[in-house]
Amino acid sequence: MKALILNGSPEPNPTADAVRDILLDELRTYGLETREFVLRDEKIAYCTGCFGCWIKTPGECVIDDAGREVTKAIMESDLVVYLTPVTFGGYSSELKKALDRMIPMLSPFFTKIGGEIHHQERYDRYPGMMAVGILAEPNDESARLFETLHSRNAINGNAPGSAAGTVVAGCEVDDIRTVVEALFSKTGVAQ
Amino acid sequence: MNSTSKALIMIGSPKPGKSASGTLATHIAENLVAKGFQIDTVHANEALRSDEGVRSLLASFDNADVIVVVFPLYVDSLPAGLTKALELMAEHRRAVPIDRKQRMMAVCQNGFPEAHQNETALGICRLFTRDSGIEWAGGLALGGGGVLDGRELGKMGGMVRNLVKALDIACSDLADGRPVSQEAVALMAKPTMPKWLYVAIGSYGWKRLAKKNQVLDRLHDRPYQESRK
Repeated sequence: MKALILNGSPEPNPTADAVRDILLDELRTYGLETREFVLRDEKIAYCTGCFGCWIKTPGECVIDDAGREVTKAIMESDLVVYLTPVTFGGYSSELKKALDRMIPMLSPFFTKIGGEIHHQERYDRYPGMMAVGILAEPNDESARLFETLHSRNAINGNAPGSAAGTVVAGCEVDDIRTVVEALFSKTGVAQ
Repeated sequence: MNSTSKALIMIGSPKPGKSASGTLATHIAENLVAKGFQIDTVHANEALRSDEGVRSLLASFDNADVIVVVFPLYVDSLPAGLTKALELMAEHRRAVPIDRKQRMMAVCQNGFPEAHQNETALGICRLFTRDSGIEWAGGLALGGGGVLDGRELGKMGGMVRNLVKALDIACSDLADGRPVSQEAVALMAKPTMPKWLYVAIGSYGWKRLAKKNQVLDRLHDRPYQESRK
């Protein structure tokens, strides 16, 4: 079993480092071999919305940079964990830059999921998804939107299980561990 | 609003040429010009290419009475470039507060037939305004944005009747200092065509483009399949 951490912190940050360390610890406990991308250190161009990954080089982005490598690593994984500051209730631009490049994982054609139109799967199996967001200060509205966004991503990403939660910058390590353990339980990894 | 009111229209589509968001932004700009606004139109991704571009974006932000953000839905939220632009704008506002009311409207269009799939993205825009001391005027959500494809709304006939009306009402609301009305929100969310037809046209379009690129037989390729084993 493999896990992938997509670290979207725009700069080194003690809380993000603490979350990352706990994630690595937990992943090791569950026997997952883990790879991490610190996205600020990777050269990843913005998706240009050209749809070349569907109609020119199906399944692969036409931009040859680390964005391709991240997408390949996602498809190699059983669990993908987003680590990001909660930015207006969403993800940081560092993380989003990588996520926007993931659409070659899907087919351009449509299907219906829960009564809504989404893209068809390109592959038979997709990884589970987890997200840990770091709030600058306690804020229920931002936390709720973050969790909603991730649950929407899980639908579009065909995730077999998903969970998202938040911690507040500067919180105690024990608080982080409590949140992370609950997320592992929700995604099904802990079973 | 008086004749010197200024609007910043920020296009969040990363496409270098014409785009569905550009189509909507052009109509909004024309409408606001007719109401006496002076318009600065900025493409977020272009602004991010240079320090000068970012300085110019932030200057337009400081000058604006009204901000309109128009963008496509990417992975249930804003495209990364637009997210980066909003991060820079929020950071700038924390460093350089202004003693003047600014208002913002967001318009999100997506490639699915359902407008409601834009809700999380509009929520993010709203929280950007909350975090940046800007008054939230409201958000418009459009499904099936793919049909716009960079075309002029004026040449698209009855199919876009509701969305044109929605934009016109919303622009009047903005100009008069009102929140975007529910009538505009409801009109914008009306489908431009039946769901089944949108899906059929979309499927045909992908096949046509793949055929043109000589990859029709590769549309379902799985280049990372081996990696999954």
